[in-house]
Amino acid sequence: MSSKIPERTKRRVEDILSRYPRREAALLPVLSALQEERGFLSPSDEEWAAETLGLPPVKVREVVTFYSLFRRKPAGRHHLQVCTNVSCALNGADGLLSHLRQKLGVSEGEMTGDGRFSLAAVECLGNCDQAPCLMINDEHYGRLDLRTLDEILEKLG
Amino acid sequence: MVRLVIDDRTVSVEPGTTILEAAEQAGIEIPHLCYHPALPKAGTCRLCAVEIEGQPKLEPSCSTEVREGMVVRTESPRVIEARRSVLELLLTEHAMDCPICDKAGECRLQDYYQAYSLAPGVYAEDKTRREKKVPLGGGLLLDRERCVLCTRCVRFLDSVTGTSELGVFERGIRSEIACFEGRPVDNNYSGCLSEICPVGAITDADFRFRTRSWFLEAKETICPLCGRGCRIVLERHPGFPRLPGTAKVLRVRSRPDDLVNGHWICNVGRYGYGYLEQERCRDIAGPLAKRLGLKTWDDVVAHLAARLRALRLKGRQAHMAVVVSDWLTTEELFLAGAVFQRDLEIGRCHVVGPRDDSPDGMLLTAERSPNRAGAKALGFGLEEPTLEDLARDAEMLMVFGPFLGEKFRPDEIGAALAGVKTKVLFTPRDNGLGRFFDLVVPTVWPAEKDGTFTNCQGLTRAFSAAFAPPSSAVEEWRLLAALGRAVGRNPHFYTPLRCAGDVRRAMP
Amino acid sequence: MILAGDRFLTRDFDLEHLYRIESYAARGGYQAAAKALKTMTPDEVLEEVKAANLRGRGGAGFPAGIKWGFVPRETDAPRYLCVNADEGEPGTFKDRYLMSHNPHRLLEGMILASYAVGIRTAYVYIRGEYGAIARRLEAAVTEAKASGWLGDHIAGTEFGLEVFIHRGAGSYICGEETALLESLEGKRGHPRLKPPFPASVGLFRCPTVINNVETICNIPDIILHGAEAFLRRGLSRDGGTRLFSVSGAVAKPGCYELPAGASLRELIFDRAGGMRLGRKLKAVIPGGLSAPVLLEKEIDIRLDGDSLVEAGSMLGSAGIIVIDDQTPMTMVLDKMAGFYAHESCGQCSPCRIGTAWMARIASRLRSGRRRDGDLETILRLAANIKGRTLCPMGDAAALPIAALVTKFRDELERTS
Repeated sequence: MSSKIPERTKRRVEDILSRYPRREAALLPVLSALQEERGFLSPSDEEWAAETLGLPPVKVREVVTFYSLFRRKPAGRHHLQVCTNVSCALNGADGLLSHLRQKLGVSEGEMTGDGRFSLAAVECLGNCDQAPCLMINDEHYGRLDLRTLDEILEKLG
Repeated sequence: MVRLVIDDRTVSVEPGTTILEAAEQAGIEIPHLCYHPALPKAGTCRLCAVEIEGQPKLEPSCSTEVREGMVVRTESPRVIEARRSVLELLLTEHAMDCPICDKAGECRLQDYYQAYSLAPGVYAEDKTRREKKVPLGGGLLLDRERCVLCTRCVRFLDSVTGTSELGVFERGIRSEIACFEGRPVDNNYSGCLSEICPVGAITDADFRFRTRSWFLEAKETICPLCGRGCRIVLERHPGFPRLPGTAKVLRVRSRPDDLVNGHWICNVGRYGYGYLEQERCRDIAGPLAKRLGLKTWDDVVAHLAARLRALRLKGRQAHMAVVVSDWLTTEELFLAGAVFQRDLEIGRCHVVGPRDDSPDGMLLTAERSPNRAGAKALGFGLEEPTLEDLARDAEMLMVFGPFLGEKFRPDEIGAALAGVKTKVLFTPRDNGLGRFFDLVVPTVWPAEKDGTFTNCQGLTRAFSAAFAPPSSAVEEWRLLAALGRAVGRNPHFYTPLRCAGDVRRAMP
Repeated sequence: MILAGDRFLTRDFDLEHLYRIESYAARGGYQAAAKALKTMTPDEVLEEVKAANLRGRGGAGFPAGIKWGFVPRETDAPRYLCVNADEGEPGTFKDRYLMSHNPHRLLEGMILASYAVGIRTAYVYIRGEYGAIARRLEAAVTEAKASGWLGDHIAGTEFGLEVFIHRGAGSYICGEETALLESLEGKRGHPRLKPPFPASVGLFRCPTVINNVETICNIPDIILHGAEAFLRRGLSRDGGTRLFSVSGAVAKPGCYELPAGASLRELIFDRAGGMRLGRKLKAVIPGGLSAPVLLEKEIDIRLDGDSLVEAGSMLGSAGIIVIDDQTPMTMVLDKMAGFYAHESCGQCSPCRIGTAWMARIASRLRSGRRRDGDLETILRLAANIKGRTLCPMGDAAALPIAALVTKFRDELERTS
C-alpha cells in the first residue's frame, strides 16, 4: 500500500507535517499532495493518509468527500472547471459550458474517452473581472469567448 | 446556583447547565433530535430553539448555558413556528415509511410531528432517493432516506467507544452517514446505535420486523450476564391472550443509571436475552421424582426436608455437599447459608458460576455472574470446586444452577457423580446437566423474581420480578424458605420479613 | 486591475515586481514593522488599530482592534493568527489582487497584528483555487525569512513569528471563521457553535485572531501614518479606503480602491465604465452575493456599512455585481440558490434542507415550470432559515434570495 506512494511525495508530506503542531491538521495539504500524483485519491491513498496522520480512515474520507477540489475518480489530463456563478453567467459562462459539452461530448463530471479532458461546472473562482473564466487543473484562464477557449484547448496536449 | 424562569416556572440550577437541561429539571421537555445527555453537543438539528426575553433570535436550548435572571419561553408562537418549520423540512427529505418502519410508536419525529405540527406536506419537488439498506456492521442497517443527520451515531462512536467507525460523507443535502469499506461498526456497544437513533434510520437485525413497539410491555430489571449489573428494560411481547403467539422477550434496552452504566449497555446484555425462554427446565423430573410421585415443589420440599433431617440425625453432615451459584440473589444465598450451613451443618458449600471471559474495558466484566460480590460479602468461599471435591464421600449433593454443565464436560460429570447416592438439581436451564441427577426441579432466572445483587463496584441494588416465571418453576428463595421451615430447626425464621432484616445484618 | 485615484492599499501596484522583497522594501516596505517592533509596545499597536476603527474587510465588518482585544491577556496557551484568504464570496476578488501584487504587505500586516496580540505562529488560509497565489506567498515567506522579517528575533528584537501558508480545497463555508479553523485542523468545514468565540477558544482550542487579507493589509499604513490619517481618508464614519471588486455587465470590470463611503453610482458609471454593450442597469448586488440586491433607483447610495444596512442590504465583502436589463432574474435566482445549496456544509436542518428546496424551486422557475405558490414558498423558506441556523450562512442564503424574490416579484411571476 505505502509502496505506491513515491518517495518524493513522502518527503513532501514530512515537510507538510512540520508546519502543524498536530499531525491531523496536515490532512488537507497531504491529500492535495497525494492527489497531485495520480489526479485523484484512491482508497489506498486515504488509508495511507489515515495511517500517516493517526486518523481512522473514515475521517479521511469525510474530508475527501466534503471538499470540491478532492476527486475520488480520475480526471482528464486537463480538468476543465468552468465557473457558472453570477458574474461569469452575466458574461456568457453558460454558453461556454454548453459549447464544451458539445465539443467534447461529455457532461459535467465526465471524462472524454481518450482521457484528455474532463469537465466540471464550479462556483465562483474569485476571478470575476476576467469573466467568463475557467480553470484548467491549477491554472486560471479568463476573458474567454468560444474562439479563445478553442485556441487554448488546441494548444493542450 | 443560577435562577431563571422557564415558562413562568422559576428554576434554580448549577452554573453551566444548559437551558434544555434546566427545563428538564423543571419537568419541561424541549423537543430535540441531536441532543443526547451523554454525548458531546452538536446543536445542529435546531429543533430545541427557544425564545429568550431580550434576545432577538431564538437560541438552541441544548447548547446555551443559563444565566441569572433569564426568562425563557419554550412554547411561544415563535418557538412553535420554528419547531414546525424544522419538522417540515426534515419531513421533506424523510421517507414516509411509518407503516413498515420498526421505530413507529417510539419515533421522535412522529411524536413531535403529532405534538407540534400535523401540517399537511406541501413539498412538491422530487424527493431525493437514497439507499435504504446500508449494512453498517453488527447487524445494523442504515436507511438513508430516514436519516435526519442528527449525528448521534457518529458522536457515540467517537466519544463513547472511541472506535469512530462512522462518519458523514459529502456535504449539504447530499450528506450521508457511512463507514469506510472493510471497516464496519464492530464493537461491544454497537447495539446502542439503534437505540440512540431518534428515528428508524438505524435498525437492528435482532429486532427488525419482529413486532410493533406498542405491543411490547416494558419491565425493568438488572442484567445478570456479568458483574456490572447494568439497569435494563426487558421488552416483552405479551403473547396470548392479548395477542397471538407465546409471550417472549423481544428486546432489551438500557436504563439510565449514573453510578453504574450511564446510558449504555453492552451487546452481551442487549442480545443475550434468549436464555429467558430457550432451554427452560419445565417440569420436575428425574428418576427419584418418578419413583416417589413428586409432582409439585411442595412435594419436593417435604421429601428433601425429611431426607436431610434424617441425614443430620445420623451425623452424616460431612457426606453432604451443596453447590450454589453467584447468579442467586443475596437473599437466596443468605437463605442457603442459613439452611445448609447453619441449620444442617453442611460444611461443604461451594459457589459455581459461569466461566469468566474477556472484559471489554468498559462495562463488561470478566466475571459473568451478577452477584459474586454478594456471595463474597456473605462469606462464601469463591474457590471453584473440582468434581472430585463434590463427589468425594458424598451421599447427597444438591446443586443450584446449570453452571456445572458449563464448567465440566458431560462425561466428566457422569463419571464423577456416579457414586453419589442422591443428587438433586435446582435449575432454570435445561442444558443436559439434569440427566446426571436423580431429581431436577425447575427454578427461575433473576428477571422472574425479587431480590438484590451487589455488583463489581460494591453497589447493592434491588429489583422486582419483571414477569412471572413458567408456572411449574419455583423461585429459589421460596423453595429455600420452605425447606428451612420444613427442616424444622428455626421454622419461624423463614418468613420473608424476618429474612430481609437478617440479610441486612449479615451483609457488612 | 484598474489603478486610478489616491492609492493606499494598491499603492505601487503598477510596479511589475512589487511582490519581490527588494522592490517592496525600496518603496518603504517593512518600515511599519520596524517602527512598531522597535519603538512601540504591543498595547500601543493595539490601541492605534482600535483608534482607527478598522472594520473587518471580509464581510462581517467587525472592528479588528476590538476583536484583537478579546484575546485573553493572561494565558499559557499559544496564540494564533489566521488570515482568511478564502475569498469565496461570489463577486469578490480583491484579496487575489492584494496577495498577488503585494504579498509582503500582507506579511508586514501579519507581523504587526501578531506583535500586538502576542502571537508567534500564523497561518494564511488561502482557498485551494488560488494555487499560483499560494506559491507567490510561499516565495514571499521564504524571502522574508531570509531577510530576517520572519523567524526569530525580527529586526533584532525579542519578537519572532512563523508564517505558514495553508491551502483550502474548495469550500465556500470555510470562509466562515470557525469553519476555517475546523478546516485548518484537518476536518470538514463545519462551523462551530459560538460561544465560545475564537478569541478564547480557536485554533487547536487556543486563543486565535482571524482577519481578512485586506484588513491586515491596512495595518502597516495605520501604524506608519496613524489612526487619524486612516480615518480621514474615509468619506463617512467608516475610515480608510476599500477595494471594491466590480464585475458583471460593466464595461471595465476590475478592482477599484476608493474611500469608504464613496458613491455606488459613481463607481459603476465613472470608474467602471458604465454598462456594457449599451444596456441598461437593472440591479446591483453591492456586497458579494450574500448582500440583498438593490434596484436601479436604489444605487444612489454611499458604499459604507451603515448606509447599506439602512437600505436593507450590506457592504459585506464589497463585491459589486452589476446586472443588466437583458438578464432574466430567474437566471440570477437559479445561480444564487444553487450556490448556497451547493456550499451548505449540511450540519443544520434549516440550511441543509431549506437551501436545497429553494434551489429546486429556483431551477424549475428558470426552466419555465413555475407553479402557483412557488414564490410564497421561497419567501417562507427564507423566513424560516433566517436567524435559525448554526452559522451566518443561513442568513447569507436567506436574505439575498428573499430580497431578489420580493423586489422582482412581478418579473418572476410573469415567467411560466
